[in-house]
Amino acid sequence: MKVTISRFDPDTGEPPKFVEYDVSVKEAARVLNVLDAVRDTIDPGFAYRHCCRGGQCGSCAVRVNGEPVLACMQEAKEGDVIEPLELPRIRDLVTDIAPVMAQMAWMNLGCDCTPVTQQEIEEIKPLRECIECYSCISACPAIAASDFKGPTIMRQEQRLDLDPRDKGDRILEAIEKGLFSCTTCHKCVEVCPKNIETPRKAIEKLRAEAAKRGLSLPAHKALASLIEKTGRSVERKERTFLEQIPDVIEPEGEVRATVGFFVGCMFNGRVVQPALDAMEVLRLNGIRVIIPKDQVCCGSPLIRTGLSGFVPELQKRNIDAFVKAGVDTVITICAGCGSTLKNDYDTPFRVLDITEFLCEIGFKAPEKVEGTYTYHDPCHLLRGQGISEQPRILLNSVTDNFVEMPARCCGAGGGVKSGLPEQAAAIGAVRAEMVKKTGADFIVTVCPFCEFHLHQVTGLPIKQIGSLMLEGYRKQG
Amino acid sequence: MGIENKTDCHVLVIGSGGAGIRAAVEAETFGETIIVSKTITGKGGCTVMAEGGFNAVLNEEDSIQTHFEDTMRGGAFLNDESLVETLASEAPNRIRDLFSWGAVFDLAKDNTIAQRPFGGQRCARTCYAGDHTGHELVMTLLEKLRGSSVQIENEVTVLDLLYDGERVNGAITCDREGELGVITADSVILATGGAGQVYDTTTNSTAGTGDGYALGYKAGAQLIDMEQVQFHPTGAVTPYDSRGRLITEAVRGEGGTLKNTLGERFMTKYDPARMELSTRDIVSRAIATEVLEGRGTPHGGVWLDVSHLPREQIETRLPIMLNQFLKYGVDIRNEPMEVAPTAHHFMGGIMITPEAKTTVPHLYAAGEVTGGVHGGNRLGGNALADTQVFGRRAGLAAGKTERTARTIDAAQIKAAENKLQSYYNGSTKTADVRRSMKTIMWNNVGIYRNELDLRVAEREIRKLQNTPLKIESPRELPDAVITENMLLVAQLVIEGALLRRESRGAHTRTDVKQTWTNETSPFGHTFFVKGKSGIEILEEKL
Repeated sequence: MKVTISRFDPDTGEPPKFVEYDVSVKEAARVLNVLDAVRDTIDPGFAYRHCCRGGQCGSCAVRVNGEPVLACMQEAKEGDVIEPLELPRIRDLVTDIAPVMAQMAWMNLGCDCTPVTQQEIEEIKPLRECIECYSCISACPAIAASDFKGPTIMRQEQRLDLDPRDKGDRILEAIEKGLFSCTTCHKCVEVCPKNIETPRKAIEKLRAEAAKRGLSLPAHKALASLIEKTGRSVERKERTFLEQIPDVIEPEGEVRATVGFFVGCMFNGRVVQPALDAMEVLRLNGIRVIIPKDQVCCGSPLIRTGLSGFVPELQKRNIDAFVKAGVDTVITICAGCGSTLKNDYDTPFRVLDITEFLCEIGFKAPEKVEGTYTYHDPCHLLRGQGISEQPRILLNSVTDNFVEMPARCCGAGGGVKSGLPEQAAAIGAVRAEMVKKTGADFIVTVCPFCEFHLHQVTGLPIKQIGSLMLEGYRKQG
Repeated sequence: MGIENKTDCHVLVIGSGGAGIRAAVEAETFGETIIVSKTITGKGGCTVMAEGGFNAVLNEEDSIQTHFEDTMRGGAFLNDESLVETLASEAPNRIRDLFSWGAVFDLAKDNTIAQRPFGGQRCARTCYAGDHTGHELVMTLLEKLRGSSVQIENEVTVLDLLYDGERVNGAITCDREGELGVITADSVILATGGAGQVYDTTTNSTAGTGDGYALGYKAGAQLIDMEQVQFHPTGAVTPYDSRGRLITEAVRGEGGTLKNTLGERFMTKYDPARMELSTRDIVSRAIATEVLEGRGTPHGGVWLDVSHLPREQIETRLPIMLNQFLKYGVDIRNEPMEVAPTAHHFMGGIMITPEAKTTVPHLYAAGEVTGGVHGGNRLGGNALADTQVFGRRAGLAAGKTERTARTIDAAQIKAAENKLQSYYNGSTKTADVRRSMKTIMWNNVGIYRNELDLRVAEREIRKLQNTPLKIESPRELPDAVITENMLLVAQLVIEGALLRRESRGAHTRTDVKQTWTNETSPFGHTFFVKGKSGIEILEEKL
């Protein structure tokens, strides 16, 4: 089996280099078996960590083809490119994990020995399976752009905060370690070998505790009071989408389906045109769209920032609005709203992203448009909803010049853009470099926050997928 | 003396698994303590991989006496009674320590500590955290350690213990870059774990190389019962590189059944009363026999099945097993696991008193590196308890050691340096030597043993010991030293297996007919001390 391994020895004064190795391994060998073969048969000086061989100690995390994995669990494949985690490097695949370990909080025992209950144990358990492999630290986009200490550090703070035996003030500590820097992009969950849901189960919970103590960021507090006052996270400046649109949009010709449409605050009040375009795309595809006017903010900005007191009210109003409209399917065009309705609501109707829906029901092929396009996966669509294929199907139907770009958070989510704009810009700058490499003239996405932010950091025109489809349809005349 | 990197402390702990960390947090209350790990503290060793549980008597139906008896019987009465008494009577308080430090073990509905049945025990005595009990124990200890003043030295390998003529007083170390160092101390604790890695097929982590046996032996400590190597009945069989991976006893504890390829629950033939929850030595021999007699799978295993259990029970009680097998394309909720015995635990090791003292002044030991607690066969759930009970005791005793003036034996350091230098002129790669050793041990010193095979192994291991190991860079130094340690351990296992002319515990001699039972055996411990070995004859039982 041929693999490429990144080698590095600081003593030589040379920069890291990729070396190809050809080793013989047994069937179903893991990456670790390949590393062993390189050491045992080619270079005994090759450095990498390993210990339990069974995914339980977290020693052997490396990046394979760019993604953090445990070498002992990942099946090796011909052509794999093996690199160290993105941490300060010591030699070959060995990184300096000491600074990360130093941030891991320990239990501050009181003297009253408060006993723990079964219920508390069950709550702590999901946060306890961490094997400290530091894959999440390697993959987190916020760390390089801020003082954020990282996902597993927050996980440990929440684990301690849930434990009655611990007497430390974990909220102040978490804030000091960058609690508000997480964009909730969920990359850490994707790479975690134990699938620990740190953003939902630790970060949002710690932020909620911080909110109870009035420790939320000023911008988040302002946003929360705006939502409580107006039901919207965006101030009304011009005619909103809901003010412009009829209650029902009838399609041309045969009605293929009837759906409800959830617009979201950004598309309702800040960038209205893409929402109007999406309506036209649905209409042209034979979809009847019902738009309840009493729908409100989905609550995502509140849940992500921990100021979730008003969320039950929003949930009730939104569910009531669509139940009253009598639809069994609700379409979103905002990744954040879609993810929130799917994951934080218990809805009596189906929620689908527009890309998901069009691919499911089938869509009219548009004319190809001019220009080169790349696609930015919104985190809340890719990881929040598991959607990556459908937007690409739509894109390829409307352009012959689609350039792929690896997924990475743009920096806008999780209340970071409103609360810590400089950090959002720093994460965005990394994304802008990646965009530049594609050479694309336009960025396509399915999220108004990503759109807004990416435009700021790249200066490029951004198109929502519906608007691009509509261009193609219009070209057909 | 060429070594510039010198540190001093009161207590030096070598090894960073459950016993080492427990010892360190106890010793710290007496003075400056350093813990050295050849891996990363908390990741190394086998504690973190322990799945099943921690035995402790916690309820009224159970008793310390019953735990004592189960352990003695399970251990083929080769155990040191005073150590077993200590284990049984202190395990409850050690689990309470863990709870007071933040352990997240499973609780019952009434908020008492949950317990499940394990092999060879008459009560449900095994406390657990799902099937990652060892991981939970280590995480708890790490939270305690990180809040302590213990100095943690990661990726530092101990090459030799320092001895001033009267007592052990430190160690010669080697870091990741191959730089030598000296750590001097008033007392030293060995908590280096076992040596499953001397076998081809093992549950052990790659750190399970038995360095402590070698360090202790070279420093003059007495070792006992090195032939007693537990083969865990249920190790993975496929894929090849995964062979030996532990399938926890909790699988059988939860109700898993063993079947041969004829579909027979064969344990009815070997231990009809206890069936799958018989002791590990018996279940391992049963599986080995089924396979030898042609009723095994083509891969040389048998079937372990939980598919009759409720899916939810498998998902909540055995999540690691479920996920590991899913990674290899087997859904244990629907299909059986293919299993075979795998080298697991060394019951033998450095002889200690209940205070965790070795036979060498100021040298203490705890955990798998010691011998005598588990006799000829360890009960599931007793190893984690052992780490905590004797880890604490070693920390206490070492902490209380008087402070002494340091005399460093310059000749010893010079000798070490010369020896290390000689590796550059060696001829054979350590990886090749290790591979040969593992195969020899697996083929000749496994579950069923006889003098002929053992003599072959003895000769082959000696040959390997006489092969000069070769390194090219100082960074490979630890590898060479560890390889020599492993060969020494292999040698002692073979010596013990030859000395013990009986079948007892995990040690089965097919070439010896015996008239005695475990209880009436005329033999006591095998023993090994620098160039001398033998077996105790119990006059009263002759």
